[in-house]
Formats: sequence, structure tokens, C-alpha cells
Amino acid sequence: MSIDKEESVKKLFTAESAKVDTNKGDAYYDELYISCQKRIEDLKKLKPLNNRMDFTESIEDQGLERRDFLKWASATTAMLMLPASFTPLVAEAAVLMNRVPVIWVELSDCAGNSEALLRSDGPKIDEIILDLISLEFHEILQAASGHQAEKQMNEAMEHFKGKYLLFVEGAVPLGMDGNYGTIGATGETFVDHLHRAAEGAAAVIAVGSCATYGGIPAAAPNPTDSVGVMDVIKGKPIINIPACPANPSNMVGVILHYVLTGSIPELDSLLRPKFAFGYRIHDNCERRGHFDAGEYVEEWGDEGAKNNFCLYKLGCKGPMTFNNCSIIRYNEGVNWPIGVGRGCIGCSEPDFWDKYAYERPMSNANIKAPTGGVEKTVDEFGLGLLTAAGIGIGIHAAASAVAGKSEHGGEF
Amino acid sequence: MKAKAGYIQVKRRTASLRIIHWVNVFSMIAAITTGLYIAAPYYQTFIADPAVDKYVMAWNRWVHFMVAIIFDVTSIIIFYLTFFSRVDRPWSKMIPNKKNMREFSAVLINLITLNRHKNFNSAHNDSFNIAYFFTFHFLMVWMLLTGLQLYVHGLGSGLSSVGTWWPWMLHLVTDWTIPVSGWMVGGGPTATLMDVRISHHMTMWLLIVWVVFHIYYQVWRTIFWKEGDISIIFGGSKYVKIKDNEENKEA
Ligand code: SF4
Ligand code: SF4
Repeated sequence: MSIDKEESVKKLFTAESAKVDTNKGDAYYDELYISCQKRIEDLKKLKPLNNRMDFTESIEDQGLERRDFLKWASATTAMLMLPASFTPLVAEAAVLMNRVPVIWVELSDCAGNSEALLRSDGPKIDEIILDLISLEFHEILQAASGHQAEKQMNEAMEHFKGKYLLFVEGAVPLGMDGNYGTIGATGETFVDHLHRAAEGAAAVIAVGSCATYGGIPAAAPNPTDSVGVMDVIKGKPIINIPACPANPSNMVGVILHYVLTGSIPELDSLLRPKFAFGYRIHDNCERRGHFDAGEYVEEWGDEGAKNNFCLYKLGCKGPMTFNNCSIIRYNEGVNWPIGVGRGCIGCSEPDFWDKYAYERPMSNANIKAPTGGVEKTVDEFGLGLLTAAGIGIGIHAAASAVAGKSEHGGEF
Repeated sequence: MKAKAGYIQVKRRTASLRIIHWVNVFSMIAAITTGLYIAAPYYQTFIADPAVDKYVMAWNRWVHFMVAIIFDVTSIIIFYLTFFSRVDRPWSKMIPNKKNMREFSAVLINLITLNRHKNFNSAHNDSFNIAYFFTFHFLMVWMLLTGLQLYVHGLGSGLSSVGTWWPWMLHLVTDWTIPVSGWMVGGGPTATLMDVRISHHMTMWLLIVWVVFHIYYQVWRTIFWKEGDISIIFGGSKYVKIKDNEENKEA
């Protein structure tokens, strides 16, 4: 955090954190309903952009019933903080997701977010929907490579200029003129690639913690000088969907919101959609009772662990992490990290690798000194200071005692 | 207490200031013991103990918050008294003008020469002490603001038992501590809530160091200045040799 940046100074007094306004009044929602209806009518007139299977068919192919889909639609409506009356609209919008072109680029990453939405054992509705979106370009998923892939991307960017959503996965290395990461046959650096792709995008969506804040590639000592998308791209609507990996439900939520309303959802001060990041893990955690009771797992597999005690002492960062996994969980509500008995590592917060993911409480964890040098726990550092003060006082006291009392002012 | 012959009694602390001092002392002990528990629970509740009186973390947090509120109140009072007290005018010693700088270094020299040189009026609050206490108040204000920021994380819904204005106000007043903490702790371009925690915890250590020196210095003064400084905080006054005080009677 550099305080010299004009923008960060401006942010000083205007940060809004996670205030969520979940009820904007009937008048607001009535108006929104009408405009959403109109937008869906308009979208219906468009042809599906490319390929792809018919939505209802693919749901059936996967052995899911329409009822499951409707259940999903009402859950998603709630997640997006819309009144229940919007459910049919959300269902319709989901079917129309293939009208909105999406370009997906990968930078410094592990492709974990793509994996998250592709590799669940049976595709859930979220994943089917992500299958359905008109993915115009996705290096991992497409057959084309090399010059061919580049051509495909250029064409997609040209054709859908100003209309496509740009999904970015991975951090942007800025060190060495960006040459830590290059892409394609021309050896274009990641930064240039991102700038070029963002140019014609309607909005840029950073998926995962690396694209949001730099994440793992930006962890200390950050040799590649990696940063997140929002530190590079200016003057474009940016939506961050951090977490490691980003929850597919939240990705769907953002696209759906865009399809439905033509606008991006309400964002918090870190540009994260409030519908997903307006909740603290700790406040909706099933182990919270044990936290308040002072019942903690002391070590992995102990009696407390068997009784689902709170994981705070093993470094759970739920108390300072804003994300909705404690509510919607992963893989359509199957489970989530704390549910399987390990603490939250704060994966949706900035610098999570250095400042959250150390599996012990903050005061006992090694934290980099501001200079990037010594790693000390905060308590060790504090005790060190105290010792230094004690030694100083000891010396002074001993010297005073030896020198003896003196009235003052020159009377030796 | 009547002053010893040759000594004059100097009133230094009103009863209310003394009460505030001791309230702060006990609040601080409570804040540190509960705060250390909140940071990393250092004693275990009995696992076999059924759910009787078991809200150990909740009680620790409750005490921590109550003490924080007491601190908030005493801080406001002290802030008021700094400028409007009838007895002391500490703010006038805070201004870094020539006179105050000279006094500051005179007191510092007295300390490092082990009381060999004492060229200042020790009857009243000196610039060194005032600067030292200013540091304390500065750290305390930072503690209160970061503490309230940590507290408002638990009000993510924007609701509270007293209404929505409370979290709203806390955000307004303390959100800037996030980037400032981030700047102090260092790291990536985006400050994070953990920076506030680290800073809050670190400042506790600074305050402990502050207290240790504070106690030492008061005891040392009492022993070497022989003016009964320690009784300022119990009885409200100290005693100065008459010849010392003459030139500064009006002060
Ligand atoms: S496991 Fe983590 S999130 Fe859950 S109550 Fe404990 S500290 Fe909070
Ligand atoms: S529980 Fe914490 S670490 Fe795990 S996915 Fe959620 S936010 Fe990330």
C-alpha cells in the first residue's frame, strides 16, 4: 500500500467496506423488474451467439429435472439479493446466457478457477450454465493453439467490440518490462495482452485471488512484481471475484446479473460484488458457537476436532474474511473448507498468502517486516521491544544507584 | 498532608484526574489480558465440562469491549481537560516552540546524566513529560480507532442492536485506518483487514513498553528528585523545595 498514490489517499475517508443495502424499497424493484423484462425480451430476439447445446436439453442430459433448475433459480435470486418475484426472470436469463459473448484470458495462474467450474464430479447447474455461456475464447478449453488461437481471439475481439465480458484469471507480472510472462506465438507480454483484451470489453471480471490482488504470484518476496487486474486496467468497469478458487456460483451470479439487468452488481470498496462478499465467514459459520464458548481444536485430529470445535487456534481466518462460502458453500452446497474441518485461510482477501494463510493465530505467525526482511511473529517482535526497554531501564537504574543520589544541578 | 518544613506543596492532579488515571490502569490490565486471549486463546476451557458458564471467548470479548468503551469515555474527558482544565494547561507545553524545546532537552539531560544536571522547574508538568504523555494518547487513539474498525467487521450486515447509524458511523470514522495500517505493515498494493489486526496488536506492545518506562521514570524521579513525585497520582500533589519554586510562583 503506497500512501503517496493520490487515489489511495482519496480512499482514506471514503472506503465503504461491506455495507450491504438489501432492501431498496418496492419502487426500486418494480422499476428494475420492468427494465429486466425489457432486456430479456431484447435478448430473446438475438440469436444464440455460437455453437452450443440447448439449455433444457443439457439439463436433461445430465439427469437433472426442471424442478432442480427452478430450485436453483430461486436460490440464485436470493443470492443476488433480488426479491423472490424475480425468480422467473432469473430462470429466463439463465437460458439466455449464451447471448452474451465472453472472452477468457489466462495470465500468471494455475487455471484453478477454470478447473473449479469444469471438474466437479457431476456437473452442477452452475457449471452447466458456465458451459452454455458464449465462450468465444478460452485458451484451455479451445482446440486451437498458436497462431490459430491468436487469430481466433483477434476475431472475437473485433466482432464483439464493446459488448464482450472479459474474464481474467491470474496475476499480471510487471517486473522486467512484463517479460516474466508472455503468451502466444508473438511473445506478447501478459500486460500487453491484458491491455489489448480489455480495450474493447464492456466490463472486466477478475476471477480468483491472483487476478484480483496478485494472489500467490504476488506473495512475498514477489520477484515478478505481480499485481492484480485492478492495479493495471483503469477506466473500465472492473468486478473482482476473489477466492481460491472463485466460487462458480459467484461467477454465474455476476454474469447472470449482467444478462438480467445489463449492469454490473453493486460492489464493495475492493470492487467485489456485495451479494457475495458482503458476509463474514465467521458470522455464518456452523462452528461459531464453539468459538464463543472457547472450545478450540488444539491440534489436528484431537478430541476437539472430532467434536467439530472451532478452528481459530489452528489459524482460521473466518473472523476477518468476507465471502459467502459459509452460506452457499461449494459444489452446490455440498461442503466447504470449515465444514471438512480445516480453517479458513482468508483466500478472498488481499495478500492472503502472506497475511492469512499461516494456519495459526495472527500473533503467533511469522509476518514479514515492512522492509521485507526479517520474519518474526508479532509477539516475538513485541517481546523483543520489551526486552530492549527492560535492558535500557536496567542499565539506567544500575548506573543511577551506583552514582548515588544527588540533589540536582551541579551538587555532586 | 502538610508539607515538610522548607518544602511547599504543589497541587498537580485533581481528584477526577486521579480517578481517571486508575480507571485507565485497571482498564488497561483488563484490555491486555483479554486482548491476548482474543488474539490467540492461551488457556483451554475444559473439554469435558458441559455447557455451563462456558462462554469463555464471549466473556473475554465482552470485557474487552466494555473496557474499550470506558477508554473511549475517559479519552474524551482527557481531551477536554487538556484544553479546558482549571488546574493544568498541558497543551501549552505541547507546542514545539523554543522554550518548550529547551525544557524538553533539559529534562532529557537530567535523565541521562542521572540527575547530575537539573536546570528546569520540576514543580509543574514539564515538556518532556507532556511529550511522553502525548505519545501515549496518540497510541491510545490509534488503539481505539483500529479497535472500533475490528469491531465493525462483525457488523457486516450493516445492522446493530442500536440501529444502522452505529455501523455506518464506525465505517465513516475508522475505515481510513485500513489503508494507513496497510501502509505501516507493508505488502501488496491493496491494504487488507489483517493489516489493522497486526497494527492493533503491535500497538499493544508499544503501549506495554510505554507503561514500563512510565512506571520506572516515576519511581526514579521519586527516588532521585526527592520531591515525592509518586504521590501525585495518589494524593494529587508533590512537594518542592521552597527556593526552587520561588522564581516560578506564578507558573
Ligand atoms: S471455525 Fe473459523 S469461522 Fe468458524 S467460528 Fe471458528 S474462527 Fe469463526
Ligand atoms: S473458507 Fe475462507 S479460505 Fe476457504 S474458500 Fe472460503 S474464504 Fe476461502
